[in-house]
Amino acid sequence: MTHYRMAASVEEALEILEEHGGEARIMAGGTDVMVDMHKGRIAPRCLVDITRIPELRAISVEGEWVQVGAAVTFAEIHRHPFIAQRVHVLAEAARSVGALPIQTAATWAGNIVQAMPAADGAIAALALQAEARIADAEGARWKPVETLFVRPGVSAVNPCRQVITHIRFRVPSGLWGSAWTRAGRRESLVLPTLNCGVSLRLHEDGTVAEAVIALGPVAPTPYRARDAEAFLRGKTPDAAAFAEAGCIITGDCNPRTSPARASREYRLALIPEMVAQALEVATRRAQPSVEAAVR
Amino acid sequence: MEATISFTLNGKAVTVRTDPMRTLLEVLRNDLGLTGTKQGCDLEGECGACTVLLDGVPVRSCLTPAGKVEGREVLTVEGLGDPDRLHPLQKAFAETGAVQCGYCTPGMLMSSAALLARNPNPSRQDIIEALEGNLCRCTGYARIITAVELAAAQMRGEASPDGAAAQARPIGGDLLRVDIAERVTGRTRYVEDMPMPDALHMRVVRSPHPHARVVAVDTQKALEVSGVLRVLTAADIPGENSIEGYSKDETVLVPVGGTVKMVGDAVALVIAATPEAAQAGVAAVEVAYEPLPAVLDPEEALAPDAVPIHADGNVLSTFAITHGDADAALAASDAVVDATYRTSYLEHATIEREAALGYIDEEGRITVVSGTHEPHWHRDFAAPVLGLEPSQVRVIMPPTGGSFGKRQDPWLVAATALAVYHMRRPVRIAYTRRESFDASPKRHPYVCHYTVGAMRDGMLTGLRLRVTANTGAYDSGGYYIPNYAIVAGGGAYRWRGVDAFAQSVYTNGPKAGQMRGYGTPQSNFALECTLDEMIQRLGDDPVEFRLRNAIAQHETTWLGYPVAESLGYRQVLEAIRPRYQALEAAARAFNEGERNTPWRKGVGLAGMWYRFGKYGIPRVAAEAELGLDGRFIVYCSAPDYGQGIATVIVQLAAETLGVSRDAIRLVNADTATTLDSSVPGASRATYWVGGAVCRAVTALREVVAEVASEMLDCPPSAVVLADDRVMAGGDAHRSLRLSEVAAEMERLGQSRKVMGVLDLRAQFPNYEREVYTPHFVTGAQVAEVLVNTATGQARVTHVVAAHDVGRAINPRDARGQVEGAIVMGLGAALMEEFVPGVTTGFSNYYIPTAKTMPDIEVIFVEVPSYQGPFGAKGLGEAPILPTAPAIINAISRAVGARIREIPATPERILAAARQGGLR
Repeated sequence: MTHYRMAASVEEALEILEEHGGEARIMAGGTDVMVDMHKGRIAPRCLVDITRIPELRAISVEGEWVQVGAAVTFAEIHRHPFIAQRVHVLAEAARSVGALPIQTAATWAGNIVQAMPAADGAIAALALQAEARIADAEGARWKPVETLFVRPGVSAVNPCRQVITHIRFRVPSGLWGSAWTRAGRRESLVLPTLNCGVSLRLHEDGTVAEAVIALGPVAPTPYRARDAEAFLRGKTPDAAAFAEAGCIITGDCNPRTSPARASREYRLALIPEMVAQALEVATRRAQPSVEAAVR
Repeated sequence: MEATISFTLNGKAVTVRTDPMRTLLEVLRNDLGLTGTKQGCDLEGECGACTVLLDGVPVRSCLTPAGKVEGREVLTVEGLGDPDRLHPLQKAFAETGAVQCGYCTPGMLMSSAALLARNPNPSRQDIIEALEGNLCRCTGYARIITAVELAAAQMRGEASPDGAAAQARPIGGDLLRVDIAERVTGRTRYVEDMPMPDALHMRVVRSPHPHARVVAVDTQKALEVSGVLRVLTAADIPGENSIEGYSKDETVLVPVGGTVKMVGDAVALVIAATPEAAQAGVAAVEVAYEPLPAVLDPEEALAPDAVPIHADGNVLSTFAITHGDADAALAASDAVVDATYRTSYLEHATIEREAALGYIDEEGRITVVSGTHEPHWHRDFAAPVLGLEPSQVRVIMPPTGGSFGKRQDPWLVAATALAVYHMRRPVRIAYTRRESFDASPKRHPYVCHYTVGAMRDGMLTGLRLRVTANTGAYDSGGYYIPNYAIVAGGGAYRWRGVDAFAQSVYTNGPKAGQMRGYGTPQSNFALECTLDEMIQRLGDDPVEFRLRNAIAQHETTWLGYPVAESLGYRQVLEAIRPRYQALEAAARAFNEGERNTPWRKGVGLAGMWYRFGKYGIPRVAAEAELGLDGRFIVYCSAPDYGQGIATVIVQLAAETLGVSRDAIRLVNADTATTLDSSVPGASRATYWVGGAVCRAVTALREVVAEVASEMLDCPPSAVVLADDRVMAGGDAHRSLRLSEVAAEMERLGQSRKVMGVLDLRAQFPNYEREVYTPHFVTGAQVAEVLVNTATGQARVTHVVAAHDVGRAINPRDARGQVEGAIVMGLGAALMEEFVPGVTTGFSNYYIPTAKTMPDIEVIFVEVPSYQGPFGAKGLGEAPILPTAPAIINAISRAVGARIREIPATPERILAAARQGGLR
């Protein structure tokens, strides 16, 4: 039988983990943990619910960072005015997780700790070059989310010893835009055949200053297309450049065949289309709008 | 580790003492008795039936640990409104026909309530997004979206509730479902919701192997599990270990020495005090298997050296039709199309899982309450297993969460009866969703080889057809599949020559059985796509081509005889012609404008005929009674698993008697109280049982008029019925209460119950089991599909459906049947596929969601039937037939290459687009 504890603070949560010597586990929305427990994949002696810790429940946009607490749900994320209007890749990824009654409980931090190669939240985090604040008995530190994935289903964050308290990413500035594309066997309530998050910053002259491209499931962990990103730097963001970026990714990544979803070949065929589409939309969003120019 | 959890539930403070890790769903249903919240998956958040509001926010109660609700507010469907004070959403769901089986309804209502609280003026898109996580298998979602729009408008004060229904005529006017207030408030008790103190729990030991010999079954360790009371094996079957009346080669439990033939085959039953103990018992039963080579492909199973699955070889049944000289007709043709079409295993995926409750009734009968298409048949199949007479067994149809043919399988009733027989105590069972996918019968996958010939002037000539149906491990009611495959596979067309052969072949795949359309959607898909290939080859028009070749009412068909009911195919095609032309023109214009993009629109048309003909003796009976309270009671067996037949029966009785629906009480589908109406499916209930009910109430009316005429001193012909009264002519002063007439009949010793029979034996002399009355309904659909030729993703944007139903008794529910069938057909066309060894449940079997739903237009073409009640024919299955071929024809035309296998996944569509030279 599993104990259930509602932690009042991060400190208390960590104390409970400590007490159980690695046999207690952090839980936020529970949408993955409950299923994993029913299926016998995990059997913690104690679950530590962090969703009522006040400091973990807020989204803040302060100075150069947007900071999202670990107990914030995907529904709260995609309904947050700043994120909905300015951070499309995150808002749209948050809307892609399962369906609304799952988004109302599931959290971004929990999605990242699950460490699945196509987790929508993880792909969006990579596209935003997000960082996670990891707290444990030794203290707390920020780490790039990208460094937290070990292999499918295994995170560098140990939920029996550590807790992600916040995720943060830079407040968009300059000519910045982002986009999200996703393909699945149906339009909702489905794991992705392919998902792709992109963010893009342009120079004043319209060329690419920085591109970030993330995809899943095309590798054992959420994939960042660094070669394609490097290729795009300084280029004019047009169809030819996007096609070349797609080719580079197709040559570099290694998707698998999953019998219930799609073949490797189909995923490889899909990659250039999805990447180009995301880059095109992100570019449009990064370009100074007519309205803004008038203002 | 129990904890005390206090929260607000439906406005009242409650405290429960429980393990905080249990799901809120289980606490609500089991501890608090609120069974309105449903479980449709294995606590994985896949279906949405368990959606409740937590502080006003919709959550999956199956993923919510009870500990999380401490101090918070939970709202369930029971708290939304009650039957006397319905919430506007509940009222709107009732009035728009948004409820069929009702199993998804509570979750739909709660998701909708959360939306309207947040957004009183939602767009259609907002509604779809709010409901995209709630699966529904019956309605096709259209009516649900409409209901939410209506409720939102009413709550904004914009639309006044429609009070006209109560005064309307029973047929065509008063359309509310008979038990709708209970369904929309979570009060309806489905099998899992029925309280039964002291009930034991049963779970099934199933084979993990597709093919293996059972060497030994050791139950000792299972019996040592705390709470386990009994483990039943084949040795415990007192009668015959067989359900051969339904499935000629299927055992109830595979005995030691026998072979399991599919994953999910049942080997033992574990009965325990709790579901958990039963599950632990299942894990502890030790079955020694000797694995055998398995064959999953029917063409491999036909090879001379193939592994024998059954003693008599791997062919279950065959059927052939020869008409004229097909070879000569094909040889003389100007154009010949050869094509091979393939379909997949499909799963019914009803939102209610299989469930049964067994007990011994007050008369000592072994009684099983479980979803069925014909309780008398299930009784007759179960009794021999127990070595009992049918009269010692009783089967009762409960409110049921969808069937689509699935609940025709009698295994569950037989197994539950066996458990009650041994335990002499109530026993209940509910499958897991995984188990439902493993063990329930599927739709037969087909391989159809077509050769079709035509002349340059667009007249069809010859048809050669070869169908191989994969029946999986067992007959499972699939014996007659070859006949259905061929009859549908030739269609309502005039052929000079036909040479058709079909066979049903065993494999070690899941057993295939009854599913909406029984063996006809697959071959109709292949036929209508092959015809479209021919039409494109000839440069012909899809509507005109079909009209030119359509069978006429009185001609001898390629089956060798004329149809015996009115045939509306030409009228259907005429009705859909303008809509096809308009959509086709719009798609052309669209494609012109998108020439430099990957987007293409395709428009496809497909037709169908569907035989709702009865087999065996063409005679069906029902009864009607005048109750002592003066109400009319109708007795029949027309199981309602969500399609709405109970409402139709009451409408027909009320209309025939000239009284309101409130004057009618229906006793339905209980072997202890109703006759065997012999209608296990095939869309026959309205026509046959409805016909018998109309005759029964007509006969009853005559008896009542006779007695009343004596009492009122007027001729029987002058007696007028008015709900609870009878009058002499129009004279309201010379009237009696019907209860007084009933009392007089009682005094006279006259029976108040009479039988009515729809008997067409004179029309069909010498009919035997394998001959079907040639009764057909027809229809045609147009699908518009938007295809991304770069990714292969397709979205069905619009479907127009024209169907000849004879007469729509309940037009709103009839529309709901068509919409539901179209969305189910869309699933088959684009996404649904059960892959043995891969598919486990809703997480990898993709049924359409609200987001998948196209705009649907329904056109009813009412060509009255000759013999059906008020001109009605059959409807439930037929509308699924044209959907997949219409969609596939649309996609094939859009991408310029033929897709010959469904589901047309994005992957297959992309391959076709590349073949078509679009990329």
